[in-house]
Amino acid sequence: MDPEWKKGSAELLVLSLLESQPRHGYDISKLIEMRSGGALRFHVTSLYPLLHRLEHEGMIEGRWVEKAEQRRRRYYSLTREGKAVLRSKQKSWRDFVDAISRITGIEHA
Amino acid sequence: MPDWKRIVRERIGTLGLTPGAEGDLVEEVAQHLEDRYRELTSGGATEEEGRGKVLAELEDTYRLRFGVRRSERLPKRDAVPAGDATRGSFFADMGRDLRYAVRGLRRSPVFVLFVVVTLALGIGANTTVFTMINTLILNPLPVRNMAELGAVAATDVSSKATTAAMFPMSYADLKDYQARNRAFESLAGYSSAYVLSSLEQGSAQMIFAELVTGNYFATLGLAPVRGRFFLPEEDGVAGAHAVAVINYKTWQIRFGGEEDIIGKTFRLNNQAYTVIGVAPPGFIGVNAIFGPDLWIPAAMAESLVPNQMRNGLSDRSKTAFFGVGRYRAGAGQARAQANLASIASELAREFPATNEGHTVAVKRVREVVFGSARGAAEQIAFAGAALLIVVGIILLIACSNVANLLLARSASRGKEMAVRLAMGASRARLVRQLLTESVLLGLLSGAAGLLLGYAGLQLVFGMFPGSANFPAPKLDATVFLFALMLSLATGFLFGTIPALKASRASVAERLKEEARTTGASPRRVTVARALLVGQVALSFVLLVTAALFLRSIGRAYNMDPGFQTAHLAVFPASASGAGYGKPQTKGFYKEARERVEGVPGVESAAWASNLPLWARPANGLEIEGRQQRSRADTIRTIVTAVETGYFQTAGVAIVSGRVFGSQDQENSAPVAIVNQKLAQDYWGGGALGKRIRLPDESRMRVIVGIARTANYGTWGEAPQPCVYVPSEQKYSESMTLFVRSRRSPQEIMIPVEREVRAAGPQVLVTGVRTGRELIDGGLFQARMGVTMLSVFGLLALGLASVGLYGILAYSVTQRRREIGLRMALGATRGGVLRLVLKQGMSLVAVGLAIGFGASLMAGRLLSRMLYGVTASDPASVAAAAAMLSTMALLACYLPARGATRVDPVEALHEQ
Repeated sequence: MDPEWKKGSAELLVLSLLESQPRHGYDISKLIEMRSGGALRFHVTSLYPLLHRLEHEGMIEGRWVEKAEQRRRRYYSLTREGKAVLRSKQKSWRDFVDAISRITGIEHA
Repeated sequence: MPDWKRIVRERIGTLGLTPGAEGDLVEEVAQHLEDRYRELTSGGATEEEGRGKVLAELEDTYRLRFGVRRSERLPKRDAVPAGDATRGSFFADMGRDLRYAVRGLRRSPVFVLFVVVTLALGIGANTTVFTMINTLILNPLPVRNMAELGAVAATDVSSKATTAAMFPMSYADLKDYQARNRAFESLAGYSSAYVLSSLEQGSAQMIFAELVTGNYFATLGLAPVRGRFFLPEEDGVAGAHAVAVINYKTWQIRFGGEEDIIGKTFRLNNQAYTVIGVAPPGFIGVNAIFGPDLWIPAAMAESLVPNQMRNGLSDRSKTAFFGVGRYRAGAGQARAQANLASIASELAREFPATNEGHTVAVKRVREVVFGSARGAAEQIAFAGAALLIVVGIILLIACSNVANLLLARSASRGKEMAVRLAMGASRARLVRQLLTESVLLGLLSGAAGLLLGYAGLQLVFGMFPGSANFPAPKLDATVFLFALMLSLATGFLFGTIPALKASRASVAERLKEEARTTGASPRRVTVARALLVGQVALSFVLLVTAALFLRSIGRAYNMDPGFQTAHLAVFPASASGAGYGKPQTKGFYKEARERVEGVPGVESAAWASNLPLWARPANGLEIEGRQQRSRADTIRTIVTAVETGYFQTAGVAIVSGRVFGSQDQENSAPVAIVNQKLAQDYWGGGALGKRIRLPDESRMRVIVGIARTANYGTWGEAPQPCVYVPSEQKYSESMTLFVRSRRSPQEIMIPVEREVRAAGPQVLVTGVRTGRELIDGGLFQARMGVTMLSVFGLLALGLASVGLYGILAYSVTQRRREIGLRMALGATRGGVLRLVLKQGMSLVAVGLAIGFGASLMAGRLLSRMLYGVTASDPASVAAAAAMLSTMALLACYLPARGATRVDPVEALHEQ
């Protein structure tokens, strides 16, 4: 897949995955890979800077969680601002896809 | 299993984060790799294969390092308040806004510091100037209801009451006005301050005292802070009650605020006076610029200053008193004027010899608080207004600096605004929030500005010589209110435009724009540039003004005053308090001069009765054969008694006739030397051999010489008549020793003063100074004005330079990508440097052009205050332009150099 597209959508993907529940980094990367059927993959070297930036900008919040019999893991959850940004991104993504479809004639699946 | 943590740490090196954050990141990444490794090995890969695959993922560490560092550079934010989906109460909102603003500001201390320092300079300058205006113009007299007070002074019948010069009146006239008028509830009188010597611990000290009538303090509505004011009987019998009321600051400074001051005695001109009360703080007399240390009942006039006031209480030609009165209910200035004028004409009929041709003028007391000189109040008001404009400009520059900074900041806050709009906040609500922040900044700066203003006041009032005789700055509620209003207004002024702009964000646009932080919106840049051009123009105007005044004062220093100043030192001495008789005083003059002439480095020395630039003209010179049109048609002239060597010592040239010599003794023929002005005005130059009679003298004097006209009362004054007489023929208890030095007068100051004191230990020697210091004193007001203008001009220049630097530095960071691209495409460092410099300096050029036009207009307004320079003086304009351009070039060069250091690879890597 065109890497430029991936770049533009990374933030939306991460925020979407965190919408339903808090997740840790490995979980996020696995989910992206699985749900895209392997078409999208994030290496550690791009995923963690992204998480770092989203947290820095106040859209997500990470905290270390210790569970019995497990190593502690850093879970990320959406902040209120993150939720607002996600909603707005979802809308603009839909608008964008609609526009592209109308122009290129590629039908929505 | 490999030690992933160690591997990660080795590969990515240090990131420059806080140790905790860096540890977190390493641990997180290591865990990720470990998970991946487990997954691979449990899926059938060998340990070697798994390790290889995992490490391959970590290959591109540049991306990790760069990504993390880049997000560190973005401003950090925490969750924003929700805005107003549901409308809160005004105060609840304000509380929330305030809390949010405080939190926001605490996160950007450098920004806050910059804003507060910038604005505090502006507010401080305004507070300083406003306090001066508050002290001198708004509240010059700390008395009860100043509007009810009227000032009364003598004037000539011929002049109009509104524009008349004000003269003092005699004590007897004042008493008649007191008794006969029906317009004043009470009418009091006060004299100018007399210089007296007071013997303290064996040495003579200078002290200023004013003669006042017994009802003076009651009329003004003052209450003593210690003791009491005068009783009616203390101003009754001449010379019977040697009592004094002391100035509050004199009490504090000279007597350390001793509690037992009441009842203490002073020796003033060899007579003991008892302190009976202390005047309230801030009151230094009706004259708000210079006040006495003591007030003495007018009935003591003759014993206090026997020379000036011999028969002063009855002789109507001894004019020494100004009147101040409180109107009766219903009577105002007009009625008082009419009433007193009719009394004046009664007096003129009763005492034609002294009073004919004179009348009185009643003015608002506000018009006399800066002395009786015509137009003094207007001049001070003009200077005050000019200074207020100057500091207003400085505050404008400071505000536009901060507005620019906020505009830049709002660029990076655009997303925050968009999010809040998306969540339902109204635009008005956002503007309010942003304004809360800027008003908070304004208030912070106001507090800092008050402190700066206080420091500024110490500086300004520190420039006044002496101590207790000058006004103290009034930092009262008015000033605090002014600073508060100014801070609030400032907050709105610099906050409004950025707030409106920032809140105009369209949600979708902003959120889409979020990643693309390159290139500021053209609109924002336009506003910023316009502000910058304005700043440059305004600071140019201030610099030109300062330069004009500097040049003007430089010219003034080089002016020829008609006497030599380079090798001159003067030693004013007063024997009036020493208890000497006339022969003893004359003996002192002779001995002191002879001792001083023996000091190495002294070329010559001579006594004269006037201190240069401090002489005051006297009325009543008569010229033989001249027809007086009326009794009021008199000639005002300076009269100076001088020793033989005076003309040579002071460097006053004799243009014709002879100087005084040993033949001019007390009992020889009375002679005089007149200056060219007098000779020209009354004899068309041919004055030699003509005869004149001085005021207070009965004999005619023959003119034996004509001297070059000099400055007598003020530096650069219009020529005025002067008569010199031999000191042998006109005795005075106070004289000034003029000393001509061979080299710098500084070298002889101490030995000469020692010799003068040795000749008469009880003689008051005070105000010793060199010729240069005389000029400094004469140009005191001008120098003070120039100092303030220069300080303010430099302040404006500094602020504008900082603003220029700020906006260019910001624009360079905004254009990093473009600059990187240019360099990648082959632009040289020199080319980039020129590009940025051109951007900045073209704004400066526009500002200079506008400023030049404005400075011509400002210069024309100020031209009457300039000496020997025109408003468009090329040297001043050039100097200001050069200075501004140099600073601007520096301010542009630093960001430009930064631009040349942009790494194209890194710049293009940023999305």
